[in-house]
Amino acid sequence: MALPRFQYHEPTSLAEACQMIQEYGETAALLAGGTDLLVKMKNRELRPQNIVSLVELEEIKQISVTGRHTSIGACCTISQIADSEAIRSVFPALSSGAEHLGSPAVRNLGTIGGNVVTASPAADLPPALAAYGTKARLKQGEQERFLSLDQIFRGPGATHIRKDEILADLHLKKPPKCSGAGFFKLGHRNALQCSIINGACYIALDPQTGKIEKARIILGAVAPTLVRASSAEKLLMGEKPGKELFLEAGMAAVGDCNPIDDLRGSAEYRRDMIQVLTSRTLHTSLNEIRKSIART
Amino acid sequence: MKKTIQLSINRQPCTIAVEPHQTLLDMLRDELGMTGTKRGCDKGDCGTCTVLVNNKPINACLYLAVRADGKEILTVEGMETDEGLHPLQKAFLEKGAVQCGFCTPGMLMASVSLLDGKKNPTEEEVKQAISGNLCRCTGYTHIVEAVVSATKKRGEKF
Repeated sequence: MALPRFQYHEPTSLAEACQMIQEYGETAALLAGGTDLLVKMKNRELRPQNIVSLVELEEIKQISVTGRHTSIGACCTISQIADSEAIRSVFPALSSGAEHLGSPAVRNLGTIGGNVVTASPAADLPPALAAYGTKARLKQGEQERFLSLDQIFRGPGATHIRKDEILADLHLKKPPKCSGAGFFKLGHRNALQCSIINGACYIALDPQTGKIEKARIILGAVAPTLVRASSAEKLLMGEKPGKELFLEAGMAAVGDCNPIDDLRGSAEYRRDMIQVLTSRTLHTSLNEIRKSIART
Repeated sequence: MKKTIQLSINRQPCTIAVEPHQTLLDMLRDELGMTGTKRGCDKGDCGTCTVLVNNKPINACLYLAVRADGKEILTVEGMETDEGLHPLQKAFLEKGAVQCGFCTPGMLMASVSLLDGKKNPTEEEVKQAISGNLCRCTGYTHIVEAVVSATKKRGEKF
């Protein structure tokens, strides 16, 4: 189906893009990869009169690592993230999320910023981003503010990013030595699949005692927004990691979610899978820790 | 308002005025009459409109034509050289990887990019490369066989 007509604007800087969305207000939409926006426009769910394209803005297309700090520009493509050695070596759960998203052609178009702001409850990058404690930098003219990824979503398709703000980049801190994370995605097939459920776990151990001192369990497609399984996290704190503990944490995570029946799976099936996959992904995280210890 | 873009299509320079709402697929098929690239689902799910932009496969239905300014585009029409069909095309014929043929241009473009990047892709890597391309006839087996056999046969300059 043909796209509806619109005016196309190509700002040459993020500052200019901010001015443009201020000027065009409600009639504007931001274009990054286009894998979501253009589909919605073809379906006539959205009819922006002005499209402000961010795709050629070099300043938000880079992955940069400075010391313990990694910044990922909002217009980095999913392929760029999946192929980045800097990301894979430090944030493997994020790499895994990127590798499992869509198809090769979609990954070459879609962007990390788009995957966040679209706010699909089943999006593949937000669980890992939130598990690593990522912060999003939002620009509004000269001003900027940071929002934590686990607090950015309001509901399906809705975020706390204001209309006049642009997501510029995502900021991650290198996790401490005795920490590891994992990602899971459950779908009916391996490619071009909207997740039945997905999620990411992060645990950090006290290097002296070997007990869990930090845990983040983030689940997707189990509620209107990402869910932080806080009762499961609480259960892990101060404990030694192990099979029994991870099973219990999996069960606790089920109580933190509010899944629905839909085309992709029933609520009951989702609850069962939350338990199994949370527990399994905690094991993945623990294995990551063991691998990193073995390397040093 | 139309915008004039300059790009390379199948190694030939091209200057064309396009509307902002035209996708690369609209431009190729409707403006240039290059109907080798197919229109399937038109929303990035079926892969039959796959073309290469700067050597990377993308869905032409989700790529605004204005974005192609300054880029190099390769479509199925550009695979054949003076020496005849591309080894991948030959392999598709030999292995019976084409039935109705509607997915074939997309399959070829998705796999040619794999062959350019990887010297000896494994069967698993071939399946990954065409994972965004739907085929409702072949059951994929002959397509995967064709791509694997083309990688084995290819000469030095391929």
